[in-house]
Amino acid sequence: MKVLKVSNWTIAAFVLPCLIIYIGLVFVPIGVSVYTSFLDWNGIVPIGMAKHVGFDNYHRMFTGDSVFWPSVRRTFLLAGFSMLIQLPLALLVAILIGRYTRKANFLVSSYFLPVILSVVVIGQLWKTIYNPASQGGMINQILDKIGLHSWTHNWLTDPKVAIYAIILVGLWQYLGYHLLIQFTGIQNIPADIYEAAKIDGADGFKADRYITLPMIVPIFKISFVLSFIGSLQSFDLIMVMTGGGPAHATDVVAMHMYNMSFLSQKYGYGSAVGTFLVAMCLLVTVLINFVFNRLEKRYS
Amino acid sequence: MNRSATLQGAKPAVRSPKKRLPVAKTIVYIIFGILLVTQLYPLLWLLIYSLKTNEEILSGSFFALPKVAQWVNYKNALGGGKYWDYLTNSLLVTTVTMACVIVLASLAAFAITRFRWKYGQYVMLLFLLGMMIPLQATLLPIMVIFSNMDILNTRLSLILPYIAFQTPIAVFIMSGFMKTIPTEIEESAIIDGAGVLRIFRSIVLPVSIPPIMTVCILTFINIWNEYVLAATFISKESLKTLPFGVNSFVSQYSVNYGAIGAFLVLGALPVIIIYFLLAEKITKGMVAGAVKG
Amino acid sequence: MKNGKKVLGVVTVAGLLAASLSACGSSNENDGNSAASPEPSASASASAPASSPAASESSGEKVTITFQNIYPDSSDPKYQMLHKIVSDYEAAHPNVKIELDSLNTDQQKLKLKTQAASKEVPDITIVNPKAQMQPFVDADLFAPLNDMVKQNGLADTFQTGILDPYTFNGNLYALPDGNNIGVLYYNKSLFQQAGIANPPTTFEELVADVKILKEKGITPLAIGEKDSWTGSFLFMNILLRTYGPGFLQDVTDGKTTFEDPAFLEAVKAFEDLVKAGAFQDGATSFDYNAGENLFKTGKSAMYYMGSWATGGIETAEVSKDGNVGVFKFPTVGGKGDPDEYMLAPGSAFAVSKNSKHLNETLDFLNYFMLNYPKELFGLKGAVGLAQKVEGDFKAAGYSDMAVTVLDLFKTVKGGDLSFDNTMNPATSQVHLSSIQNLFVTPDTDPAAVAKEHQQAYEDNK
Repeated sequence: MKVLKVSNWTIAAFVLPCLIIYIGLVFVPIGVSVYTSFLDWNGIVPIGMAKHVGFDNYHRMFTGDSVFWPSVRRTFLLAGFSMLIQLPLALLVAILIGRYTRKANFLVSSYFLPVILSVVVIGQLWKTIYNPASQGGMINQILDKIGLHSWTHNWLTDPKVAIYAIILVGLWQYLGYHLLIQFTGIQNIPADIYEAAKIDGADGFKADRYITLPMIVPIFKISFVLSFIGSLQSFDLIMVMTGGGPAHATDVVAMHMYNMSFLSQKYGYGSAVGTFLVAMCLLVTVLINFVFNRLEKRYS
Repeated sequence: MNRSATLQGAKPAVRSPKKRLPVAKTIVYIIFGILLVTQLYPLLWLLIYSLKTNEEILSGSFFALPKVAQWVNYKNALGGGKYWDYLTNSLLVTTVTMACVIVLASLAAFAITRFRWKYGQYVMLLFLLGMMIPLQATLLPIMVIFSNMDILNTRLSLILPYIAFQTPIAVFIMSGFMKTIPTEIEESAIIDGAGVLRIFRSIVLPVSIPPIMTVCILTFINIWNEYVLAATFISKESLKTLPFGVNSFVSQYSVNYGAIGAFLVLGALPVIIIYFLLAEKITKGMVAGAVKG
Repeated sequence: MKNGKKVLGVVTVAGLLAASLSACGSSNENDGNSAASPEPSASASASAPASSPAASESSGEKVTITFQNIYPDSSDPKYQMLHKIVSDYEAAHPNVKIELDSLNTDQQKLKLKTQAASKEVPDITIVNPKAQMQPFVDADLFAPLNDMVKQNGLADTFQTGILDPYTFNGNLYALPDGNNIGVLYYNKSLFQQAGIANPPTTFEELVADVKILKEKGITPLAIGEKDSWTGSFLFMNILLRTYGPGFLQDVTDGKTTFEDPAFLEAVKAFEDLVKAGAFQDGATSFDYNAGENLFKTGKSAMYYMGSWATGGIETAEVSKDGNVGVFKFPTVGGKGDPDEYMLAPGSAFAVSKNSKHLNETLDFLNYFMLNYPKELFGLKGAVGLAQKVEGDFKAAGYSDMAVTVLDLFKTVKGGDLSFDNTMNPATSQVHLSSIQNLFVTPDTDPAAVAKEHQQAYEDNK
């Protein structure tokens, strides 16, 4: 139960500075985007000259755009892999690091390294891993050497596997990111809880099951939401690795929005895709919040 | 690997399972080791990359070393003193943004999680929403706003949107942590007659060091490599940031990859240094966390 | 104390709120304003001839001209040319400062589009010909250069007809930095190794050669298809042979459709090329540079590209001892004239109509363009310019290959512009992706490809 009762002025002083910058530069633009999503506008002529087309853009997006739905599906694929594989793995490693090492700092920092490096580097590195054997690609060369030639693939240009190849890179790159967050969360659990549990006979994994997991729920939620956002905004990495190709096979929603707004110069249409993205985010965030709030209640 | 394992065994930690599970421990250390290699390798790769010629880089062989180390790449990267100007600008913009984000976000997170008021949840939801918004969607509208405020081509035109885009995540993380601070602390502080600001400054902030450091790190990496906004809002050479440097080796029909590699190494150095310094604080924060209960 | 802080906080907050609100409010009003404001400067540009250097000097007022450009790399001859001319000009005009905003090509395109909507176009910027600059012209963002090119005989330095793709309703809006044609480069020693005596003159020969090279384990044709315009450029050359020049124009004029037999034949021919194994593995993940590098490092036998690639190729390892030759794109099914080329009029310099220093900007650009060919010639970057170049290329140390390319220019009898220079951006994007798709699924029914094009064209008319 919150105990601080304060005047409205105090609340305003604490919240408004942050809120105003945020609303002015994030929400107002989104408002503009929602508005432009009802226009037939190329983003170049003065906005006043654009024609209002009602829900035309949305109608076309939902029914007449062969790129849109597959890109939505791939976006969720990215998010799903991240949530179901990357996060549990990060949690596991965080627990293990807390348990087995004294110099945790070094490991956590090192694992974080790929996040620091520019996407350009990451993309180039993985391209040399995925390239065809004839171009020096590592995976294919290894497969060839151990006699699994039939397993070799053009990992980044086969429309069926390219998106998974990219997902793997994302999982690898951001493992350290979630590890850092969850490790911080575990460190924040008061040590005396573990001491007390130890006296009660709960040690090792048992302590994790009954103390770490429940106590980490709020932090895990942070990771969860961040991983979802990351997936929705995933753009740079795909841009560097495949550019969305071949023939849109690795397009995600954010990319479709960019392509439509700036390359096809249908800014209005791109805004509709963007608005859809924001709406989808809203929905999923509310959902995640709902689920985690119930989880938190159950454990506290 | 093994050596550190035996060292570890020699002086058992409080929560380490002692000698009962040497097998499990070995497996865990092997996992740590593999992860260490895969996660650290890119740095080594980048160093090698930065010493190659364009042809060697584009030939794309994974293990290949450069025939002759191309130190000229570093000369090109540092050439004209642009690196130092860009570095100064990047540091300036990043530091100011980070400071503002920490102050604004911790204030807001504190109000959301610890004040008794009706709308806290809704404000939180508002922030949550903003985390999701892709930068590209806001580029054009922000341009219009800044054009009217007449602040294009100033550092403010970078700092403001950076703050706006980083605060939601910061508020989210900080409030996630602040929620876990026991309310007894405030109760006793109120009995002692402490005001809201003092509770915030002397009680809540100190125990929030780990999340603050986390936010610092995330904010830092998010804006250190940011190029789209920077390239769009800044035209003055004297205000450009490091990512411009990387992109200045890309010309119409050719790319100087070696120099890009060298520039990336030079650009990543400050990040790595700052990061390891901050990360130290996270483990330090754990001590504070242990005391607070 | 505490109250004081609170009040301060509230005041700041209110200030910020007001600022952000006024920003949003004025963003709408200003559209009206800025639509009106260009008028005075527009009339100024029309009436006042490009100011003479003396005019801007005498005013003595400090003037900063922002020059957005796409030459950020210091190893690029164009970078050196740009900086040389700018510093020369600044030395002669102490009151003028040229602020160079050098960006890479993609970023510059994005930036200009973002700037356009808020009328923040820099004094000088870069645009691409015809369809690509049309929206900017429609939005009335550029100053006409009709009078400026008459100053100091600038107009006469340009090749005949090269300014047409930048001219709309009789007004010239931009000056091109180059003029190139699509050619095939080939590696002589790799051809020899495969036992091929001469470069192919028909498409059928080309496909046959591809198969021979492939068998020898040599990548026949390098391409950087991650940048999907590269494949489109090649495809359009096939179409130029099967239909003749003007296909896209005829589609626009309603004289034919994408379901034209010539279009189907071109798709079929392109698919044959892919199926013969012409391109390197994983071609769609190679960007422009990585693709070109295959040729430059002697790993591929041929390379189709605009003649702008000449400079990069002639300095590469592979060009030693005149090892690289150039040939015209072959006939397809016995059709087409090899002297018709894919034409690529270059990126071009345009001047903002709203420029605060319109006269000084025009004066500078005039000076810049007059010196442009001269400086580039000295830096060995003068192959494929839009302006006439005086000087003996051979004597100046240009390679045999460069001279061959220059000779090819003399054979040009016409041709076509690239797809995205001719069609609207939305249709172009569909086209680019459609052609990229042929690299991974070359069995696609040509009729389906045609239909996809036609659909996109009709949707975005």
